[in-house]
Amino acid sequence: MMRRVLPVLLALWLCGCGPCGRGGDSRAEGALRRLTVARLEAYKSLDPQRQFDAASADLVRNLYDRLLDYDYLARPFALSPNLLTRLPGLSKDRLTYTFELRDDVRFIDDPCFDGGKGRPLVVEDVIYTFERFADANVNALSYSLWQGVIKGMDEYRARTAELRPGADRGALSISGLRKLDARHFTLELTRENPRALLALASNALAIVPREAVQHYGDQFAHHPVGTGPFWLKQGSRRGVIVLARNPRYHLRYPEHGSAGDAEAGLLRDAGKPLPRIDEVHLPLIEEPQPRMLQFLAGQLDWVPFDRDTFASMTVRDTLGVRLSAAHEGKFRLYLEPDLRVDGLRFNFKDARLGSNRALRQAIAHALDASAFVAQMYNGRGAALRTLIPLPIAGSERDVAASAPSHDAQSIRRKLAEAGFPGGRGLPPLTVDYRSTTSVTRANYEFQRARLARFGIALQANFQSFTAYMKKVEAGDFQIIDFSWGADYPDAENFYQMLYSHNRAPGSNYGSYDNPEYDRLFEEIRFMPNGPERYARFERMNALIREDVPVAMLWNLTRTGLTQRWVRNFKYHPLLEVPFAYLDVEPRAPAQPRAPGTP
Amino acid sequence: MWLPYALRRLAALVPLLFGVALLVFLLFHAVGEDPARVALGQHASAESVARLRAQWGLDQPLTRQFAEFLRQVVRFDYGRSFISNETLSELLAAGAPVSLALTLPPFAIGFAVSVGVGLWLAYHRGRWLERLANTAFVAAMSVSYLVYIVVLQYAFAHRLQWFPVGGYAPGLDSVRYLALPWLIMLLSSLGPDVRIYRSIFVDESGARYAWTARAKGASELRVFVVHVLRNALIPVLTHALGSLPYLLLGAFLMERYFSLPGIGDLMVAALHNGDFPVIKGLTMSLALVYSGVLVITDLLYAWLDPRVRLR
Repeated sequence: MMRRVLPVLLALWLCGCGPCGRGGDSRAEGALRRLTVARLEAYKSLDPQRQFDAASADLVRNLYDRLLDYDYLARPFALSPNLLTRLPGLSKDRLTYTFELRDDVRFIDDPCFDGGKGRPLVVEDVIYTFERFADANVNALSYSLWQGVIKGMDEYRARTAELRPGADRGALSISGLRKLDARHFTLELTRENPRALLALASNALAIVPREAVQHYGDQFAHHPVGTGPFWLKQGSRRGVIVLARNPRYHLRYPEHGSAGDAEAGLLRDAGKPLPRIDEVHLPLIEEPQPRMLQFLAGQLDWVPFDRDTFASMTVRDTLGVRLSAAHEGKFRLYLEPDLRVDGLRFNFKDARLGSNRALRQAIAHALDASAFVAQMYNGRGAALRTLIPLPIAGSERDVAASAPSHDAQSIRRKLAEAGFPGGRGLPPLTVDYRSTTSVTRANYEFQRARLARFGIALQANFQSFTAYMKKVEAGDFQIIDFSWGADYPDAENFYQMLYSHNRAPGSNYGSYDNPEYDRLFEEIRFMPNGPERYARFERMNALIREDVPVAMLWNLTRTGLTQRWVRNFKYHPLLEVPFAYLDVEPRAPAQPRAPGTP
Repeated sequence: MWLPYALRRLAALVPLLFGVALLVFLLFHAVGEDPARVALGQHASAESVARLRAQWGLDQPLTRQFAEFLRQVVRFDYGRSFISNETLSELLAAGAPVSLALTLPPFAIGFAVSVGVGLWLAYHRGRWLERLANTAFVAAMSVSYLVYIVVLQYAFAHRLQWFPVGGYAPGLDSVRYLALPWLIMLLSSLGPDVRIYRSIFVDESGARYAWTARAKGASELRVFVVHVLRNALIPVLTHALGSLPYLLLGAFLMERYFSLPGIGDLMVAALHNGDFPVIKGLTMSLALVYSGVLVITDLLYAWLDPRVRLR
């Protein structure tokens, strides 16, 4: 028996183990245009109002639509209508927006609808979604995006908090949200706020149909029913997810771009229907090595860089970062600053640091963010002179800001002024870190070594994120490492970290308190971007530089590679995965190409 | 004879599982991550965190939470994952077949090969071939598991293109994707297993029954294959069966590097996210399976060796 079975098993095994690497690229055979991109982690929920992690957001963005979106090509970032015919109009008192829904939007076909056919989008869907977003029993994750912004919404949320989860919201309604007719509605603000509409581009306010939520119940998180450019053809949290083109999708590729977009070939598909591709395949590949190996074999179309492969595949010279000779011309490299700031924060409640400005200044000047980014992140980032990441309006690209001096003599003078000449008499300072990874430990070693040059001893407390947050919210620390990602692309979202009313346990963890800073913050809070606002930013930056509540600020760069056959790729930190806009060059029949060839 | 023994052992599981449940519960509340804070992230207000904790029942008194945990153990229903909103059985049904397909074949083949090679080395003990093989196995053991994965994936999948870099397909197609992980698991486990089994066989070959067999004129080969192998089966089985429950948990690194949709990182992710329903369910299931395997191992002892009495 075994003599018969063994050769069969062996033959099966051998058939399965033939060369299978570079035979074909990620684009599917035949007429189907396919994009293959690795997911870096498993998604948690595809329910727009219940998700708040990056992996889920990437899928929700492609399965659902929002009333507004960010224009794919516009820089600086600009909102554009998605489910609306145009951007909403604002009343004379600047408190009420009027919206008009498109009349050509339909939900995808799904058993939750009568006859399984997707129905047109109506104002009731928007109202239902907004109420679901505000429901305390549904959305515990992202309500802060609109907290205090829409008239009657906070009250609505408070009322839902009194209901048990799943209870009928019945006659409850949001007073600031009014239906005019099947396609028109108004939204009333609590006060004038030029940034009120930014939340409408968030996935948390992606429009969902009531029928799907009721039909799928708890499992709605895994059964998306939207109007988005794709629908979920195959879903496996830990396997391959396949998104298929929604043939009834309403949006078209932008007609206009920013400077240089036409030359870069980004307007070749201007005005054409979206999505450009038929399917997106999203295998879960959590480790960088297999991701990069599959990309090099042409099996993935787009891959983000990790620290090691970035170092081995790129070179830095006077022209900037480019691919090394072995890879140049084979792939396309992109580098875009992320919408987050990283650095250190001092605790003003700490007896030693809080009252000793000269000591904080000495530490801030001794820590060189440029050297840190160059050495620890292979240059994948930039030292910041202000609290604002580079892509956001009001960053050092728009306002004057000076870099901290790293002159050794002046640092020593500051230390002496602080009462610790040469660091003598200064006990070790403790930095609390929010993880225990090797990268965090290496970062600490860099900071420790820099400060040791001036006689300042640093010790580390590595801990879990939860333990870190407990200490931070209790204000029980001397120095912390911190990272703040934009909730929305506006400088206010970053400057609020130092507003005294937000002191710990709020986001002003270090409890910085400067009345002039507070006054300026209150002025810029609801002010549109422009010279007036930027002038106040400059003064706020000067206060920060003088008082040093933060130090060693830097802005991480998102970087990665795309295959040369991928068209229309322009990295957008707010859209992240704009699959609808991407296309692939069709593969010529019977001419398999090596990876990297266009 | 064996039935009353098995029933007594199963009854003893009750206090054991209670102890495990208490330990898991206390550890989670003492040093575990706060799932609400992990889910909401740094930007969330204290009120939002408190609300989510309330939704998940984490604001209840600890005694009530523990009583609910015990009820869940009895019903074998640990609720839905805080993260994916799936039940443990749904999570296991999706990933366990893949994890078992990954771990069972190299376990079975590795067991047979390790026992065979261990016996062969014990038979040839003291000779240059045995010393050479021993050195090779010690060298193989000294290499990190991760290095095996990284280097062999690069060499066999990327450079030589004999295998896919990663991925999975159900059914017979899975062999194509699992072949390289199997090979790596086999290679990396051979060193330690062979050395353990060799030591067991060498110890047994010096026992009095072995010398008696030799004195009665049995050949050295017969002594090893017939007498030593059979008597060594108890420690060999103890070692092998002890690792059985962990096969279900898959191979965390292997699944990550080869993009296999198993359950290898289920526990790691649950601990990282403070996903208590999954932590509870997996820990209790593992304790149950492990205890069951111990009972089966004891029964096997009696079956293999008539001198063993079950009491």
